[in-house]
Amino acid sequence: MVKVEEYKLPQHNISSEKFFQPTRLYLPLAQHTGKPSQPLVRKGDYVEEAQLIASQDGLISTCLHSPSKGRVVDIDEFNHPVLKRAKAIIIECDNQPKNYSLRKDIDSLSKLELLDIIKKSGIVGMGGAAFPTYVKLLPPKSIDTLIINGCECEPYLASDYRLMVEKLEGIFKGIEIIYKILEPKTIFFCIEDNKPEAIKKLNLLINTKKFKLPFISLRVLKTFYPQGGEKQLIYSVTKRRVPSSKLPFDVGCLVHNVATCFAIYEAVYWDKPLIERLVSFVGDALVSPKNLWIKIGTSLKELKEKGIINFKFEPKKIICGGPMMGIALESLDYPVLKGSGGFLFLSKEVDLKEELPCIRCARCVDACPMGLLPLEYAKRVKAGDYDKLQEFNIKDCIECGCCAYICPSNIPLVHYIKIGKRYVTNS
Amino acid sequence: MSLIVSSSPHLKSKLTTPYLMRQVIVGLVPVVIASIVFFNYRAILLISICTLTCVFTEEIIFKIRKKRQSQRDFSAFLTGLLLALILPPLTSWYAAVLGSVFAIAIVKHIFGGLGSNIFNPALMARAFLMAAYPKMLTSFCKPLSYDVISQATPLALRKFNFIITPIYKLFIGNVSGSLGETSALAILIGGIYILVRKIADWRIPLSLLLTVTGISSIFYFVNPNNGSVFFHLFSGGLLLGAFFMATDPVTTPVTKIGRYIFGIGCGILIMVIRYFSGLPEGVMYAILFMNMCTPLINRYTSPLPFGVNRR
Ligand code: SF4
Ligand code: SF4
Repeated sequence: MVKVEEYKLPQHNISSEKFFQPTRLYLPLAQHTGKPSQPLVRKGDYVEEAQLIASQDGLISTCLHSPSKGRVVDIDEFNHPVLKRAKAIIIECDNQPKNYSLRKDIDSLSKLELLDIIKKSGIVGMGGAAFPTYVKLLPPKSIDTLIINGCECEPYLASDYRLMVEKLEGIFKGIEIIYKILEPKTIFFCIEDNKPEAIKKLNLLINTKKFKLPFISLRVLKTFYPQGGEKQLIYSVTKRRVPSSKLPFDVGCLVHNVATCFAIYEAVYWDKPLIERLVSFVGDALVSPKNLWIKIGTSLKELKEKGIINFKFEPKKIICGGPMMGIALESLDYPVLKGSGGFLFLSKEVDLKEELPCIRCARCVDACPMGLLPLEYAKRVKAGDYDKLQEFNIKDCIECGCCAYICPSNIPLVHYIKIGKRYVTNS
Repeated sequence: MSLIVSSSPHLKSKLTTPYLMRQVIVGLVPVVIASIVFFNYRAILLISICTLTCVFTEEIIFKIRKKRQSQRDFSAFLTGLLLALILPPLTSWYAAVLGSVFAIAIVKHIFGGLGSNIFNPALMARAFLMAAYPKMLTSFCKPLSYDVISQATPLALRKFNFIITPIYKLFIGNVSGSLGETSALAILIGGIYILVRKIADWRIPLSLLLTVTGISSIFYFVNPNNGSVFFHLFSGGLLLGAFFMATDPVTTPVTKIGRYIFGIGCGILIMVIRYFSGLPEGVMYAILFMNMCTPLINRYTSPLPFGVNRR
């Protein structure tokens, strides 16, 4: 665990803005963990906003909706931040926003009906992993603790924070729905202590008792990275340790991100599938940081061309996600995905420093939240001694980046770990 | 637009290895000042010879090994400085040069350079000089004097003459001994500095000092001629060893439990040598021995991954 140097975060104070109607959308079929969806439209088809355009394929998968009215111009390979290249539905948009109307019979909906709505809305975990939400809501074991993750421990990003400040009631309505489905004994709303404005609002809202959530309590946690990591969060709140290669439900817990709760609210109350999300655009290369409501599939290039994001300096590194775990992109030709909480544009902070010898200072060992020996991975991978990696439990590594962040010798430990993991899974 | 594509994390703490080395050197400044106060030009001479030889030797080795490292890490300078501080003031220049070359070329670089050596280079070089020039390395002189007046160290006086040196003298450093080992005050200032700045881990010095305190208080209770707790803490190379040698990250364990074991092991060995051997002092051998045990300690104390229970 590390305390990442506190950056002054003007983005925390910037209200979210609605983004204009994009002209072209790139919608990869793989927006989530699991099997990519199956396209239901063909080149030349005309689609409505919120129309289902790709269906769920298999148990761990989900569906995809068109974020805008428009014409399908192609279904072809396009850049993908994680997969590099992947099949995407490309839509030329018409500038006609749809109006959503409030569902009337919310209280009378049964558990199964609620689950069905969530399943058909294509909702995934919006904290980054993008695991299909309805699968998580059908755990094979009973859950006694529901944890709402408002930690957003990645430095720089502010989208979850803004959502909590601006749309807290919506988030709570989403939690109510999850509560109805799972009936946990307790609910913990977790937030780090560096977000005072959101904490104030949360306290007020919980005290009004407006919501039918009898067992909810606020947990203000210390700010450190990775406080928002699923296993770390569960441990911080319940002192339960999720065993290696097990999932949270094995210890009776379930973690949902605040943005996911909000998406559930929109799906159930407004019948609006997941086609839009709040995204932070930050970094020193930008004229000013922004928090924008962006349609899924909008490309960074269009945002740049339309002057929605403006560069003060030429960026040297563009990162999809936060600075600790995000993925460096090769160009601006990448779309916003359901799981993208933010993009980072760095000009001078990028500084590939010379790698010095490991002085065995053990700072990486002390920093590792998973209790591993990162220095051994670098040493073994460099020496080509891959067989030892298993012994040092390389698979337990969550690639959080704490070790490489702290290493005084600038050893790119995560880089070596990724190489090592690839080798271990292949053999 | 050409973009850099590298692995996460894309953020890096400001901490660097050269900075850590420089901070240890800063921690040694009080010790250097004390050595100059007590042993005047001899201290300046030995420190200059050792640091220059070490840095120079490392440069030559970098050339030979065709190692391209644009940044200097100050570790060779630190080794030279530490070596000078554990040599008797009367060490001749050629022995100092030989020791420095040995520390860098043999102890450090034969094993692969910074981070790969098993033994602490400065201590190993001193052990080597002990074997090569036993007489020179065991003759000490009176402090605060330009003339060479030989005088035994407090630990030797205790062991062979049953004389206990007053604590205040040991604390200030007005006794005979190796250049940087005499003044407990100076070492404490520097040692606490590097611990507070989190340059070195506190676990080893603390467990080492507590072990020595425990053992020496028992022995003092049995027979006051064994020397009091403060006598043992402040005499010989104990403090310098505890704060600046036993905290060398390269040659000490990487696990937290391992660091306690290392400190306790050093403490026990030091006291065993002081009480039961023919030698007056044992810090050097104790730390070198524990250096040797470090890979083993690491193996048996390697941490369990999060969520795995010890069976
Ligand atoms: S933090 Fe870096 S230098 Fe220190 S032990 Fe780990 S890998 Fe080695
Ligand atoms: S070894 Fe893995 S889990 Fe541990 S700090 Fe490094 S990246 Fe994080």
